[in-house]
Amino acid sequence: MSAALASLRRVTQGRSRDQAIEAPSAPAVAGDSSAEEAGGRAAVRRGQAEQREGRVAAGLSELERWLADQIGQGIAQARQTGPAGWDDLARRLVDAQAPGVAGMVTRLPRVLGAEDWPGLLLGEYALLHLLAVAHRRAGALPGPLRQTVRTRVGFPVTRESVLAGPVVRDLWDVVGCRDEEQERLVARRVWLAGRATGRAAMVLSFSPVGQPRESFPPPGTTIDADLAFYPGASPLRALVAVRHGDVEAGPPPGTEISRVPALIAEVLAADPWADSWPLVLAGVVPCPDGLADGAGADVLTAEGTGADGAGAETEGGGDAGADGLRTAGPGADSEGPGGEGPGDEGPRGEWDALPLHLPLHPAAGVPWRLLAVSGGRPVTVAAEWTPRGLLPLTVWDEEGEVVRL
Amino acid sequence: MTGPWEELVSTALVGAGRRAVPPESLLERAAEQVVRMRAGRRPGRGTRPAPAAAETLPPVPRAAADRLARMLAGEQSRLLTEWLETAAARRLRVPAATIPGLLDLGARDRSIRAHLGAVTGARGRWLAGLNSTWAYLLAEPAHVPPDEVWELGTSGDRRAFLAAVRRRDPAAARELLERGWSAETPEDRAAFVAILADGLDMADEPFLEAALDDRRREVRQAAADLLTRLPGSRLAHRMTARASRFVTGNGPGLRAEPPADCDGAMERDGVRARPPAGMETRGWWLQQVVAHTPLSFWPGHLGMPPDEIARTRIGDWEREVRMGWTRAAILQRDTTWARALFEAEPLTDLLAVLPPEERSRRAAELVAGHPVDGQLVMMLGGVPRPWGSQLARAVLKKIVETTRTQPWNAGELIRLAGERFDPAAYAHAAEVPELAATLGFRFDMLKELS
Repeated sequence: MSAALASLRRVTQGRSRDQAIEAPSAPAVAGDSSAEEAGGRAAVRRGQAEQREGRVAAGLSELERWLADQIGQGIAQARQTGPAGWDDLARRLVDAQAPGVAGMVTRLPRVLGAEDWPGLLLGEYALLHLLAVAHRRAGALPGPLRQTVRTRVGFPVTRESVLAGPVVRDLWDVVGCRDEEQERLVARRVWLAGRATGRAAMVLSFSPVGQPRESFPPPGTTIDADLAFYPGASPLRALVAVRHGDVEAGPPPGTEISRVPALIAEVLAADPWADSWPLVLAGVVPCPDGLADGAGADVLTAEGTGADGAGAETEGGGDAGADGLRTAGPGADSEGPGGEGPGDEGPRGEWDALPLHLPLHPAAGVPWRLLAVSGGRPVTVAAEWTPRGLLPLTVWDEEGEVVRL
Repeated sequence: MTGPWEELVSTALVGAGRRAVPPESLLERAAEQVVRMRAGRRPGRGTRPAPAAAETLPPVPRAAADRLARMLAGEQSRLLTEWLETAAARRLRVPAATIPGLLDLGARDRSIRAHLGAVTGARGRWLAGLNSTWAYLLAEPAHVPPDEVWELGTSGDRRAFLAAVRRRDPAAARELLERGWSAETPEDRAAFVAILADGLDMADEPFLEAALDDRRREVRQAAADLLTRLPGSRLAHRMTARASRFVTGNGPGLRAEPPADCDGAMERDGVRARPPAGMETRGWWLQQVVAHTPLSFWPGHLGMPPDEIARTRIGDWEREVRMGWTRAAILQRDTTWARALFEAEPLTDLLAVLPPEERSRRAAELVAGHPVDGQLVMMLGGVPRPWGSQLARAVLKKIVETTRTQPWNAGELIRLAGERFDPAAYAHAAEVPELAATLGFRFDMLKELS
């Protein structure tokens, strides 16, 4: 499967933690500077960078020990004792200049509301562990993955360096926008989808609470623009380098539900920590708890005969997408009540005749406005994929009207 | 079911230490598993909701839809009822995305449900079928539906259908009801009877008289309310016989004696035996008998015209008898009595019975002689929109005076005036910017909906 997991497995296996807290690799030093002053500034910057590397390494090493302690003692009490400990840990990680990891720790309490919180929490701990180890072994990782690890840890990447890199010009559909308040700042995420490249992008901006946001064309617009992506193995975050203009292009082209697993598998193969990815789904019928494939929606009453082609596509699409990952075993398919358990052949036929269905995130509730716009008919929906389900962003109705959700 | 993942979770719960598993290796295996699970998750299977019926009404214009969205977000939200009422009257439907918010409002506020039934169209009824909090909508009439709706439609659709038939052909509507009467639900029976108010005449009397024997009180009540409007009905005669015993001439004055008990015959005629809290029981019966007696009976019985009757002192039970007449004047829509009673005691409820011009004049007189206080605002709250020019002038004058002397006291009256004035008058309200702004908002709002 994934290049990333394979690389990570190579670096995580066979060596124990004690073996090496290696000296953090110093960043490449620029060549001699003729101007003494400039050289001095460079030296100061270099010193700061080295200092940061050291702090981060120490912070993540402490995180590894902390995680091992938790797992060693057991996480059964996490609901009671977790939040206080996490606050503490997050503060220490901020002090260690690893704000990305600190953010992941800060978000841990979200899993506690779920019924299956032990599994969710173990998953989060495991990914934190994977990130800490990956950072420790960064030297052995391929370049893009190394960059992903550094970004996830929280090393800053300057705007200038991103804008100095290559750009991707396309007609970008603005497919979603969400504002989230965090620590007196409003974080605005705008998701884009490229018509020609099929690429996804996310433009992140911050503004102080109560002040006007940086204006961005609203969902439903299509911009002709050069996007510069932040580096990484599965680049998503981007800056608009040049906006050539807006175009009238109608609803964005979308993917079918059957193709989603392949897409997500690809994202996670490159960046195992990815927990958000924009999807534009065409021809889906919103349901109270998810999005159903809309193929054959007009002949719904046809008692699951060949009327909906979705059944046939499923197998192909699903297998292609999850190729190599399927060996993960029963746990991998725990969502599907039809199950894959051995000897479960009987009801499968009927089950397969039902439309494919992607669940919504439990926190999304019943998407009443989305249901209202669709009226039980196929529509185009943009949604944020997360490991726990979809969060609807935008819907285009039959007449192409755009509604933000 | 236990798989490798479940085992990892259970080990993590009790502690890797207890099972002699190195925590690092557990975390590494868990990381690999969790990424595989996330990447390998395939779509499940599920059913789709059946599609909503096609819409029959045109959507509101774009500008109106945008304004509705702003109002739902809080701007001038007091005017929402008028927006909905206007859209309903003009047979337009709201954008689908606004329906859930509107239906939530309707769940808390009954007064807008009838409008919602009309403006949310087929999509609204479809959503109401998916969410029990919104099920009230299914009892509201929507647009006038085709014939088969009488057999198959929601109760709201059937009420709309019956009302349409009644307008066209009153007898046909009654016969339609008679055919399947016993199979209808009590709620529908009460609502259907009320629909007969439109085009009511003596031909309806036998049907309504029979409805007095209905098992459900609401049905009996609705039938009794209609029968009092028919002076020739059997109920009117029975009530007249009672009333003639309970209220009599007494020299130059009047005398009232409440019923000693409330027998089965009285209850059948719509007199409720149990009084509302705080009301004397026999007085309550007396008031109801008076309220359900044709007003045309009194001048002959008491030997004086209505205005004189309204002025005459009664002594004991005066309040109950007057309340009965007031109720009767409203129920029977009797302008002569409403006028006479209003002169004796200005209850704004009575204004609704009077023609618009007169209503405006009388309310204006009331405003001129009354300080701005909670009572005035409450009285004016009983005068429906739009206020005529005389009343509007009087209220505006009052507002201007009050903002000069007691500005803290004018707010509620300004807001009420903003809702009730004819919005075309906004130019005249320039002295009161808040009022002018509200009226300007309404002016644009109504123009957009045309």
